[in-house]
Amino acid sequence: MRADDRGKRSERSGPIPLKIVVAGGFGVGKTTLVQSVSEIAPLSTDEPITVASVGVDDLRAVPDKTTTTVALDFGRISVGDSLVLYLFGTPGQDRFWFVWDELVRGAVGAVVLVDLRRIADSFPAVDYFESRDLPFVVAVNAFPGADRFHPAAVHDALRLRADVPVVPMDARVRSSCLSTIIRLVEHALDRSNVVRFPRSFSR
Amino acid sequence: MESLVTVTERAGWGHDLQNEYRRIVELARRPVSLVEIGAALAVPVAVARVLVSDLVDGGFLDVHAPEPAFADGRPTTAVLTRLLEGLRAR
Repeated sequence: MRADDRGKRSERSGPIPLKIVVAGGFGVGKTTLVQSVSEIAPLSTDEPITVASVGVDDLRAVPDKTTTTVALDFGRISVGDSLVLYLFGTPGQDRFWFVWDELVRGAVGAVVLVDLRRIADSFPAVDYFESRDLPFVVAVNAFPGADRFHPAAVHDALRLRADVPVVPMDARVRSSCLSTIIRLVEHALDRSNVVRFPRSFSR
Repeated sequence: MESLVTVTERAGWGHDLQNEYRRIVELARRPVSLVEIGAALAVPVAVARVLVSDLVDGGFLDVHAPEPAFADGRPTTAVLTRLLEGLRAR
């Protein structure tokens, strides 16, 4: 009888869903990363978005709002029986930041992908996650020339906080993507320890 | 949108559900998220959320409440530690 009870209770509490947000400029490898680590074929939903018309002076003249859709890519990693980790590739454009707000709520953290040839494309994502106080790592994707990058230079170029990790990554390689995700979780843990305990207890 | 749902015992009783509802019940035999349901049915998450809440009201689905896993809107240290150990073991 007791075993039955316990079984029911654990079933009710079920696995815990966790999520990581993948951000960066257009064509930087977000979808590739999600594809590389996901255990399901990566999925996509078209999310309708209601945007109040911008640049129109007299809103009374346009009572209707504009509706558009934005594709949201995601993948899934089961971690044991009790955790399910979702990866969400964010729509690249800044104007979809209000989609990000729902995505980052409760997230473990974020991976900001960088293409060294277009490093400035990643500024908006860095600014956004800093403003939301969400732990993130910067992953330099293995585009041509990325093999000789200096983490310190990327750190400076993106004006990152001292503790933000910068790692090399090949979005096409599963183990490389997993390493980046592990680095992010380590970083999120460090951050949560710093918040939770007095400074003297943190490394 | 990552909230997980699973079927209840009642869902196994072969009720006459409409197509979308029946597909969701099939998907939820294993824990499945709103966003996965949305993708499978080719509907936005907001629509999946409404269909799922109908099924929850009808007693066919349970929504998992992960509250204890989160503090101040972030995963707790204990949950992050389990996640890290699980990922390293892969």
